[in-house]
Amino acid sequence: MRVVTPQVARQIIHHEGSARIDAEVVPRFSLDERVTVRNIHPCGHTRVPRYVRGKTGLIERDYGVFIFPDTSAHGKGNKPQHVYNVRFCAQELWGLAASERDFLYIDLWDDYMEPA
Amino acid sequence: MNGLHDLGGIQGLGPVPREENEPIFRAEWEKRVFALMVSTLGGGAFNAGEFRHAVNERLNQSQYLTLNYYERWVQGIEMLLIEKGLITRDELETRFEKLAKEAD
Repeated sequence: MRVVTPQVARQIIHHEGSARIDAEVVPRFSLDERVTVRNIHPCGHTRVPRYVRGKTGLIERDYGVFIFPDTSAHGKGNKPQHVYNVRFCAQELWGLAASERDFLYIDLWDDYMEPA
Repeated sequence: MNGLHDLGGIQGLGPVPREENEPIFRAEWEKRVFALMVSTLGGGAFNAGEFRHAVNERLNQSQYLTLNYYERWVQGIEMLLIEKGLITRDELETRFEKLAKEAD
């Protein structure tokens, strides 16, 4: 553990909040590709919300490479991978009563998805 | 984990309150908890995934709904510091007793 002096604390608060990691990883998905979120229910840590599991959306943006929380939270390594912004139609998530003009944009890790 | 933190789609919780000029901290002790996070998570005692897992998913799920934001941080940080062997439950209890006596 490093000693957190006031100067180090300032550095942590202002510059160390990101899980972005400098690693060369090939993205599994490309822009505008249709993806389906895996229907997983892990007992451990995950950042994939229940309401998108099993749903199909479009890759909107590729943010680059980040630490994978599902493994890193359990001492199983950083498993660096791409994180994407994915667009879901409200009707895909909430049924036909939702507006066909509403969309949800959510950030998802590579491992959470499969090609649709 | 399928915990209560994953609120999307749950109905009956009422509107999300929006507060004008919401303060960053609501009490003095919350500032200390924030500093505790910086010195433990920031210092490398545990990582961000372990921290999120502790303060959201690993808490007793009835506690999740009754504790406030920084109370959950305290619970999670305590849990992790004990697991990592940096403090013991006994040391914590001894300290609580000492502080309670000082407050009397």
